[in-house]
Amino acid sequence: MSAVQIAPEAPGTPVVVASTGWRLAVRRFRHNTLAVIGLVVIVVIVLFCFVGPFLYPTDQTHTQLSQANLGPSAAHWLGTDAVGHDVLGRLMYGGKVSLMVGIAAGILATVVGTLWGSVAGYVGGWVDAVMMRVVDAGIAIPALFILLVISAITTPGVGGLIVILGFVSWLVPSRLIRAETLTLKNRDYVLTLRAIGGSHARAIGKHLLPNSVSTIVVAATFQVADAILLVAYVSYLGLGVQAPATDWGGMLSAGLTAAYSGRWWLIVPPGLAVILVVCAFNAVGDGLRDAFDVRGR
Amino acid sequence: MSILTTTDLGVAFSTESGTVDAVRGVSLHVEPGETLALVGESGSGKSTVALAAMGLLSGNATARGSAVVDGHEVVGAPETALRRLRGSTVSMVFQEPATALDPLTRVGAQIAEVIRNHGDVSASGAAARAVDLLDRVGIPSPAARAKAFPFQLSGGQRQRVVIAMAIANSPKLLIADEPTTALDVTVQAEILELLRRLAADTGTGVLLVTHNMGVVADFADRVAVMLQGEIVETGGVEDVLLRPQHDYTKRLLAAVPRLAVAPAGVGAPAGPVPPGASVGSVASVVVPDGRHGAAPVVDLRDVSVAFGRGARAVHALQGIDIAVHAGETVGLVGESGSGKSTAARVALGLVKPTSGSVHLFGSDLRTARGRDRRALRSGIGVVLQDPVASLDARMSVAECIAEPLAVHRRGLSSADRRKRIDEVLDAVRLPRTLASRAPRELSGGQRQRVSLARALVLSPRLLVADEPTSALDVSVQETVLEVLRELQDDLGFACLFVSHDLAVVQQFAERVVVMRQGVIEEQGTTDTTLLHPTTDYTRRLLAAVPVPDPVLQRQRRAERLATLAAVDA
Amino acid sequence: MTTALYLLRRVLQALAVVLIVTIVVFCLLHALPGGPARGVLGVSATPAQITAFNQAQGLDQALPVQYLRFLGRLLTGDLGTSYTLNEPVAQLIAERLPKTLVLTGISAVLGLVIAIPVGMWQAARRNGAVDYAATALAFVFYSTPAFFLGLVLIIVFSQQLPWLPSQAPSGNTLAEVFQDPAGLVLPVVTGALAMIAVFSRYMRASTLENLQEDYVRTARAGGASTATILRRHVFRNSLTPVVAMLGYYLPVLFGGALVTEQLFNYPGMGLLFWNAAQTSDYPTLLGCVLVISIATVVGTLLADVAQSLIDPRVKAGRA
Repeated sequence: MSAVQIAPEAPGTPVVVASTGWRLAVRRFRHNTLAVIGLVVIVVIVLFCFVGPFLYPTDQTHTQLSQANLGPSAAHWLGTDAVGHDVLGRLMYGGKVSLMVGIAAGILATVVGTLWGSVAGYVGGWVDAVMMRVVDAGIAIPALFILLVISAITTPGVGGLIVILGFVSWLVPSRLIRAETLTLKNRDYVLTLRAIGGSHARAIGKHLLPNSVSTIVVAATFQVADAILLVAYVSYLGLGVQAPATDWGGMLSAGLTAAYSGRWWLIVPPGLAVILVVCAFNAVGDGLRDAFDVRGR
Repeated sequence: MSILTTTDLGVAFSTESGTVDAVRGVSLHVEPGETLALVGESGSGKSTVALAAMGLLSGNATARGSAVVDGHEVVGAPETALRRLRGSTVSMVFQEPATALDPLTRVGAQIAEVIRNHGDVSASGAAARAVDLLDRVGIPSPAARAKAFPFQLSGGQRQRVVIAMAIANSPKLLIADEPTTALDVTVQAEILELLRRLAADTGTGVLLVTHNMGVVADFADRVAVMLQGEIVETGGVEDVLLRPQHDYTKRLLAAVPRLAVAPAGVGAPAGPVPPGASVGSVASVVVPDGRHGAAPVVDLRDVSVAFGRGARAVHALQGIDIAVHAGETVGLVGESGSGKSTAARVALGLVKPTSGSVHLFGSDLRTARGRDRRALRSGIGVVLQDPVASLDARMSVAECIAEPLAVHRRGLSSADRRKRIDEVLDAVRLPRTLASRAPRELSGGQRQRVSLARALVLSPRLLVADEPTSALDVSVQETVLEVLRELQDDLGFACLFVSHDLAVVQQFAERVVVMRQGVIEEQGTTDTTLLHPTTDYTRRLLAAVPVPDPVLQRQRRAERLATLAAVDA
Repeated sequence: MTTALYLLRRVLQALAVVLIVTIVVFCLLHALPGGPARGVLGVSATPAQITAFNQAQGLDQALPVQYLRFLGRLLTGDLGTSYTLNEPVAQLIAERLPKTLVLTGISAVLGLVIAIPVGMWQAARRNGAVDYAATALAFVFYSTPAFFLGLVLIIVFSQQLPWLPSQAPSGNTLAEVFQDPAGLVLPVVTGALAMIAVFSRYMRASTLENLQEDYVRTARAGGASTATILRRHVFRNSLTPVVAMLGYYLPVLFGGALVTEQLFNYPGMGLLFWNAAQTSDYPTLLGCVLVISIATVVGTLLADVAQSLIDPRVKAGRA
């Protein structure tokens, strides 16, 4: 797993240059080829996973051992797996889970991280110091280690999985948002508001949050990318969804042993799918960041 | 032969929003040993001309025409040829000493690098020459200082290092792009003196780019005035500054706030002298004036502010007393580190004093709580320095102006609110149609006036303005100050005006408080204090301000140097 | 601020973080089925034995008191006993940790040695063909799950092209592990590729930012060539934030080691941890979590010290 968007307050703290008009941001994004490709890829894959089964219906719940371990053919475009499921269909079916869990966990991580980081940044002082030490402690424990420990204790459902993934991922966005809050807190328009008697609530609600939106959106995009990658790991670690449901990570770990014996169609499609989607989200995040002029990664 | 000749020089930038013609057909020349000042406001293209002469334009710029430096054509020249010129034949001093040096390399090494770029000099030889240069530019203990990192030096010292780098290889042409704009006025005077001396010693031609007419009067032999990429007037410094021909030059000179100085030779103060006034005293001179009410509008008593703890604490303010009465304008002046901005923030309640008390409209800010405290705050209007950061770009102009209403007059109907917004827009002389625009679409001067409108929307009794026009062009500044003066006459609010610009304060304030390093040097009416100062520091401060009259400035400079020599002797 | 004072402050912060980690581990310990009693008595303990143990050990006392005793045990190096291997956890970890550190260390060094020049080069030749290609490759590599990457490498380099062995050399001591360096190539490369992807992007971004700075213009005005400017000025300035990032990337590196060791059967702490998870060997699991977190905190501290050595402003608090 590579949690890439860890940005400590390095010298030259992240700054959102005040208002790039939306039109300018959209134009910049459009000129970023990789980002646009990423966006297209995401749309295509979402369609593939959610609309695909209607165009290419397969049975993903009942096993058909007579059809097991077949190579790609006209009947099964990507062959079948050890219990006879059509691999292409399974790719769509698993994709739904991977995408939904990834997106939900990414958004959850961003929301929690935003709350934590903005409170720490705004209040400052010892509260900030303690909150950030907690974040440091959380970052110090490798996520994969925690996930493996949890897998030894319990087997969560989809909802539980989302919560667990969000729980190991909220730390990084909290640092980003905290840095953002620190910068915004000292902007002249906030100082003016405080001087004439404006409340903290108003400063946060009307000024800090709206001006943080671009940073939050960029952070969320990268979080989703990371979460989908994490989802691919969890089945490998034994934490994934239970059969007959599956996700791409599950397909990968189920097919691992098969790979050595040449049945490439069991692992290459899900592997490529994961790489493609995570890449796409990262590219879009990169493009958004350049479009909004957010620094800090 | 001229050391620099530009013929029909033009520069165009290709940006996201299209092509911008920054410089259009500029022809000028600089002779060896003379200083040509290139003057203009922001957007005039003067800095672009300077960069073009060095071949240092950014990647998205295309130059056309000709710029010849010591016989070498710069426009379109290959990078290798330009590198030979830069740092040896022509060199440059930039505006921002804070960022001009590599923060991770010692200053001696940075100077040595320039030396070794243009000659086969050994490392130790270059290091020795670097120490010599530091001495020449007036840095004390040069051998020790050479080992310092930039962050360990003050702004003025960093600029001296940049100058040392510029003169290291005895260039024939020195280009100085706003070399003193970021410096305090006393440091500015020293740096200008240094530059003048160095240029005179070596017969170097100087192209001085600046927007400050006082600096021009102090330093230049000839002047070229630029407006929107073209030169509109050029001539000897006395001709252009004292007898301007072009309309724009006339307007520009008329807009420059001029420091009125006591005629040379007058020693004794004319008005009442505050008893016991000396350097560092906290004498509180409250000169009675007809407009004052009984209690001051804002009253800082024995206020001290310290940031940090223990031995490393920074004492921003030490036991100061400042009072502003109804209807009067008090100017708070000082150089950087004087504490004037901190004092303003204490008055605004943004900074809590570590000791002493702050009374706002008669109530102690320490004891006022909740609704009372908020009610007090509603009587204040605030205008800060940075036009970009003073307005939230996510809100329309109307929303920005109406914010104080949203805080204190919740029950106002939207029609009434609309009416009030229109009223204040009229008061600051901005068209009502501006209300629906975004701040991004406004110029700096317009933004500051919107800021002012927002400050006035609740009919404040006190306006606190912290360097409200320092970031604006001089002609724009004139408008904003005019508007401010008019409003004060009409509405009668008290005003605490913080500025580093003595000329502006002199025009605007009735009383002035001079601060230095957290203490009050002296206070009094503007006339008394600024025309007949009683403390050495204030006298030095005033003497260092350059006036836009070359003849007068020459006199002042001579006097100033004589005073300094007398102190040293 | 002197170096000593700066170090002291950072060490105190690090201690605070480690303390919080111990609290987290303690909470996990008590969230386990069977509780800490199992950790000591073993899997086959009867309920009666557990109750007696709990009373004797004071496990029926208030949690804060238990925590303090837990902390006390940690300070004496007692991490409990492994269920499955019946050895003190501390001993198991002491055997395995150096091997993991060596593997991650080599991956990290290899990664940085390649990533930093590549990143700088990309920034100098921004938007050229090579820059795009390198960017695309970087995206791909940091979007790839490590086990998939390792698998592909094994298939290509061990099966299709029998160049390298697919398993790391086994053995208990470092010396044994190093006897067959060829077996280390694939695990190291798997770890290094992701790191190269991430750090080349950081270095590129940092260099690009620094190229916009004023001091570059001053150097150019003095007649320096672009190459000289990059080498003498931009490099060190761009390095500082990247070194800071290194500290935060360590947990990722260790997490990757977990996967890599399992895939290549490398006898390090990651493999120990993995096996412990398969057998629900809680003491080992938690001991590993604690030790690896401390390793991360120490690593971050070292990265900060390195940063203050490169950048003298850090100590002065003015970075």
